[in-house]
Amino acid sequence: MTGYIIRRLGQSIVVVIGVTMIVFGMEHLIPGGNEGIARAILGPRANPVTILAWEKENGYLSPVWYQYWVFLDHLAHWDLGYSYKLNQSVDAIIANDLPRDVLLVGTSLVLAVLIAIPLGVYQAVKRNRAADYVGTATSFVLYSMPSYALGLILISVFAVAWKVLPPEAPQGNTVGAMLAHPSGLVLPVVTLTLVIYALFSRYMRSAAIENLAQDYIKTARAKGLPEKLVLWRHLLRNSLVPVTTLVGLSLPTVLTAGLVLESLFNFQGLGLEYFNAASTDDFPVMLGITVLVGIATVVGNLLADIAYAVLDPRVRY
Amino acid sequence: MKMTAPRPGSHAKSLGVMAAALATAAGSLTGAGAASAASIPAATPNYYGPNGPVPAVGHAVQGGTAYFMEGQQAPPTYIFPFISPQVCSTMNYGQLTYLMYRPLYWFGNNNQPSVDYNYSIANPPKFSNNDTTVTVTLKPWKWSDGETVSSRDVEFWMNMMKAEKANWCDYTPGYFPDNVKSISYPNSRTVVFHLNRSYNPTWFLYNELSQVTPMPVAWDVTSANAPTPTPNEPNLPDTTPKGAAAVYNFLNKQAGNPPSWPKSKFWSIVDGPWKLQSFTSTGEATFVPNPDYSGSPKPKLSKFVEVPFTSDEAILNELRSGGPNALQVAELPDEYIPELATIENEGYTAVNFASYSIAYFPLNLGNPTFGPVFRQLYFRQAFQHLVDQQGWIKKILDGYAVPTYGPAPLAPVSPFAAKSEYHNPYPFSVSEAAKILKAHGWANVAPGKVAYCADPAKCGPGVKKGLQLKFGLAYQSGVVVTQEEMVDLKSQAAQVGIDLELSSAPFAQIVSKAINCGPHGYAAPNSSKCSWTALNWGAGWVYAPDYEPTGESIFYTGAGADFSGYSNPTADRLIAATTEVPESKTAPTLVAYENFMAKQLPVVYFPTATGNPTAAAVVLVSKHLGGYTNNAYTNLTPETWYLTK
Repeated sequence: MTGYIIRRLGQSIVVVIGVTMIVFGMEHLIPGGNEGIARAILGPRANPVTILAWEKENGYLSPVWYQYWVFLDHLAHWDLGYSYKLNQSVDAIIANDLPRDVLLVGTSLVLAVLIAIPLGVYQAVKRNRAADYVGTATSFVLYSMPSYALGLILISVFAVAWKVLPPEAPQGNTVGAMLAHPSGLVLPVVTLTLVIYALFSRYMRSAAIENLAQDYIKTARAKGLPEKLVLWRHLLRNSLVPVTTLVGLSLPTVLTAGLVLESLFNFQGLGLEYFNAASTDDFPVMLGITVLVGIATVVGNLLADIAYAVLDPRVRY
Repeated sequence: MKMTAPRPGSHAKSLGVMAAALATAAGSLTGAGAASAASIPAATPNYYGPNGPVPAVGHAVQGGTAYFMEGQQAPPTYIFPFISPQVCSTMNYGQLTYLMYRPLYWFGNNNQPSVDYNYSIANPPKFSNNDTTVTVTLKPWKWSDGETVSSRDVEFWMNMMKAEKANWCDYTPGYFPDNVKSISYPNSRTVVFHLNRSYNPTWFLYNELSQVTPMPVAWDVTSANAPTPTPNEPNLPDTTPKGAAAVYNFLNKQAGNPPSWPKSKFWSIVDGPWKLQSFTSTGEATFVPNPDYSGSPKPKLSKFVEVPFTSDEAILNELRSGGPNALQVAELPDEYIPELATIENEGYTAVNFASYSIAYFPLNLGNPTFGPVFRQLYFRQAFQHLVDQQGWIKKILDGYAVPTYGPAPLAPVSPFAAKSEYHNPYPFSVSEAAKILKAHGWANVAPGKVAYCADPAKCGPGVKKGLQLKFGLAYQSGVVVTQEEMVDLKSQAAQVGIDLELSSAPFAQIVSKAINCGPHGYAAPNSSKCSWTALNWGAGWVYAPDYEPTGESIFYTGAGADFSGYSNPTADRLIAATTEVPESKTAPTLVAYENFMAKQLPVVYFPTATGNPTAAAVVLVSKHLGGYTNNAYTNLTPETWYLTK
């Protein structure tokens, strides 16, 4: 297992470096070259003097390979550069936004798992009965509905019509500042939870149905084991494998999946930060978040692999 | 820096008197008062809002908190008033730095695009020696640390400007501060600028002195641990170019962590009416009154909060759920204008607003293939005939826009706009466009066909026989009105055989391609940088902090923002005249310049949306907020605001 983890970490570093090369290369493919980037950042008032000064200040006059080397050197020291437009270090931007994103998306992810797992098992046990139909219909509706539309409906009902909840997430520098106004978190968290739940519950239901037909379940029942124990001790653990994969793959979405909801609920997170950076050619921010998402993807997969081994002792790496 | 003493006994005249002369001359500029709302198309509602406070209901109360909506995804990001080009925005000026660090001269007098001496730190400048010497005297204002706002603070700014031109947002080579030979500081309240030639006083005030913001000498350090300097201390770092650059680098770094601003020992020294109490990483800014503010009026609110928004939807949701208790001043995005009546019923008064700007997009006159076509005045005239300004205003912009016929904005009404600016020399007419093209040797000028040059002798020099009028037009993505306008233009152009190949990209990428390929441009016409043909970034030019609409930054040969690569000796002469003539000739010189540029079409003019420069919008003001006035240059003055009950 240890050897596997070391191998995977090695591969991960190669993957992350590959991703940075692609984004870095794209930056230099912009029409107009360095001057084009400078104009994109400096805007309509740029002139040759300000363009040259900006290129010099940001190292654009060096050869591209050297610029990339400097970037990697800084990356090795976890210095992700400085945002051209936001006048902050990318490290500071991530340090500000990441905990808030983890609060929003992480809470939704945990809630969705906590709801989807028991409901999925319940639907499997009660399959093709009224409760299952209701559950299936609910998850189909939620799954097919864009998170944006769902959020708008919730805002229209709870914030605009009934005025019982605020339509936007709390503003604040820290997680603590946001938690000081918990009512603002309700609608964005509920929206995201419902969307994720719809996906997870379908997988959980399918896995549970498949496992219910397995011989080991029949054996457990034949031995007279109470149904509750059959479900929680035997069925649940084996049915969790596909959901574990999904949770692992969802880890990077902590950073990016919030984009639509961040926009709707007035919540400045990394998803919007990346979108804005792409719109304004703020390459240090794009590169920094890309590296972070790359790392999150790799870590998510690794954690999923480790979870397999825990859930199924037969799995060996 | 060379310092010279003032010339005693020189004849000085106050610009306050000159402003009156200009206002009188406005008759000749605007056709003896012809610049009335009646000159604007009927489709346009009261397009620039009231020239004074928006009326409130109830009686005024002292204190309370007012909430102001920041632009969608556009919170202020930079606190240091020496703003570099990359963070140069009206949000950083008008919504942050100017609230705390007052510029030497305040621009925007209610909604009029003019200087407001009541809000300015300095008295009207005096011009002498044939307008080569400018004397500025400061009012007795104080910084919040107890120091006097003095000429030393202006010197600090000018030293930094000279040392760090490339990092100054409004620097144009050859102009401020390059055209200042020397500056003298005869006493703590007087600054004397000695210029390299005579300059037009209005222009020098509006476009050059407008760039100066006094900075406290307490900022004149290169490290956070340095002892706080005093005004009379000799040899402070800013007195050498190297030292001034080091101070700039230090202060720029200090401006790099927004949440730390409120507690900074540097940024907490202010001379404006407000102090920053908190600033979140998301851009929410909370201001409290500066008890030591020397100007007038003093703030009546106990807090002023600027609220960031991530999307138009989030703005609408806040307006519908919280109403005027959640946001006292907000801008309704254009797509929600149909819901205006409903939102007004929540307790808002809707007022129109125009920032002092014009909308246009450039054609690349230096493009190797199409440049020869675009350089023909007849082609630009034909193309302008295809822009349905009245139709766009009515059908796309819901009436919240004014037409653009030349370089001077029509809204708000100002003495700077010549009479000619109110009349379209090239009104929308597909048949006229077709007639012009046919008369100049183009064939296939018909719907469903692509026109081509059949007679090069008539098409113009450099236009090859058989060249088809098929070229690209890239526009800013994400703005519905821009897209609809460009689709309409494509449709109209197709009627005369011009095939516009539309594409869209984010603002930054459109701007990044707009490189001057003309004479004295920045790229050789045959380079790949010159392959663009037409670029529309959704706006044209916002006149701030070059507040007078002269053309040295946008239409002068080789100017930084002469994206078309337009070059015309007559235009250059007329532009130079607007910056150089004596005050008495300001009005006729502007008229001559504006008339010429309206007919010359160095760019394609299209309607200028009211609201902000890129999209039509309406300002919503709570009926329980008094004292709110629009500012033509989008500078906020919440010190005039008060809540009512």
